Amino acid sequence: MIAVDVIISGLLLGGLYALFGLGLSLIFGVMKIANIAHGEFAIGGAFLAIATALFMGAPIWIAVMLALVLSFGIGFALQLTLINRVMSDDPMPALLMTFGLSIVIQNLLVELFGADNRSLDIGPLATAGVDLGGVSVGVLPLAMFALAIGLFATLHWVLKHTKAGRNVRATSDDPDMVGMMGLDRARIFALVMGISAALAALAGIMLAMRGSITPFSGAERLLIAFEVIVIGGLGSIWGSLLGGLALGVVHVIALRLDPSSGPLYGHLLLLAILLLRPEGLAGRVAQR
Amino acid sequence: MLEARELSAFYGDFQALFDVSFSVAQGETLALIGANGAGKTSLLHSLCGLCTASGVVRVGGTDLTGLTPAQRAALGVALSPEGRRMFASLTVRENLEIGANTARPGPWSLSSVTDLFPILGEFADRPARLLSGGQQQMVAIGRALMANPALLLLDEVSLGLAPVVAQEVMAALGQIRGESAMVTILVEQDIRRAVGASDRFLCLLEGRVALTGQSEGADLDAIGRAYFGEENAA
Repeated sequence: MIAVDVIISGLLLGGLYALFGLGLSLIFGVMKIANIAHGEFAIGGAFLAIATALFMGAPIWIAVMLALVLSFGIGFALQLTLINRVMSDDPMPALLMTFGLSIVIQNLLVELFGADNRSLDIGPLATAGVDLGGVSVGVLPLAMFALAIGLFATLHWVLKHTKAGRNVRATSDDPDMVGMMGLDRARIFALVMGISAALAALAGIMLAMRGSITPFSGAERLLIAFEVIVIGGLGSIWGSLLGGLALGVVHVIALRLDPSSGPLYGHLLLLAILLLRPEGLAGRVAQR
Repeated sequence: MLEARELSAFYGDFQALFDVSFSVAQGETLALIGANGAGKTSLLHSLCGLCTASGVVRVGGTDLTGLTPAQRAALGVALSPEGRRMFASLTVRENLEIGANTARPGPWSLSSVTDLFPILGEFADRPARLLSGGQQQMVAIGRALMANPALLLLDEVSLGLAPVVAQEVMAALGQIRGESAMVTILVEQDIRRAVGASDRFLCLLEGRVALTGQSEGADLDAIGRAYFGEENAA
């Protein structure tokens, strides 16, 4: 049963990877920019939860909710006050702005928390397991996987069936024309950045529950998020899920067969996709 | 009514419109005529706040100076842009509904727009990008009408359409012409068609007014000369 076991734990890890990619994919799809600070949003969100849980003694679920709300607010405010100022047809200024933000956030985290490894302690749940048809699966990874899938489905539904979602899709299609529909593009961008930051924070929090993080973990998370959305297909929500699952399975299989390989085979998967299917697993060839 | 005084439009260092003044009375349609690059689209964009502009624009007595496109849309400025500019991933119904985002009261709704363009009712759930050029043009006009505009701006509605389709679109516009207090500005390359669908016309040449007058009984040859900037145009 070793093969099934590996694939299941790969898929569970992939759910978390996919969640890292989801927020980045949303930003790319709507604003056509790459948010280099995405990893720091994730790690910063996790530190917000750690700070409220550890130092203020708040119950874990309250700490998580608080961190998510704060992350949304920070993402919203950063987009409205800083990133929107440099948004133009040229993606470079916005990219540099987010690069700068990533450095600022990382140093702020080092200043506040030091460079130690930290994790979010959630008690006995962290080690609880269930038997799934002969394969033992951790309750926590399973719950995280279910939550990730649920979030993908929710985001898809909101984008497809609500007025706000329709406005976001219209902004993605033609940001210059939504003003004539009475919409404020700057606020829509801010809303999307806020949601993306909250999704990133949730992924960071899950990472801190499964393992440990330092203020320097952001860069590695950004790399994974990038790999997820490129493998899946840029700007496609379901592509991110597919990309995350593929990357998770490859990582776990590779680590089982070649324990010293690290993320090498994930990168090779990225290269293979770029060579064989550059539009990504679920991507469409760009039109227009 | 619409009143524009000394309207100039700029794209960076380039000036596209030079001190153009005109006014359009309630319920009237003004045809904007001119060759490529004469400043027709720039004039519409300066009314919408989509380019840098100087001068004064008043719609129904409200000064639009310095307002964003979104604020102007809320005051009833609606544009059917050149090239139609559909929201490609939205369905036809969503494209129409997003036009009503400003929630202005008035006669236009999904049902009245689909009465005007029945094909849009039939294709309501299709992605807008799958429609033909003529159908997309109907969506663009319908989307602008959904805003219940005080000022309806129609940029090149017959451009790139088969003659019979262009006629169909113009016929629909003829149906609603003069029915309400809405001011309409129609940008059109075809002089005969422009004059036939308007109360007054304004011919632009290199960003300036070359000729203006009543559409009924207008001298098409004189307009033609103004259009090309030939001597003794007026």
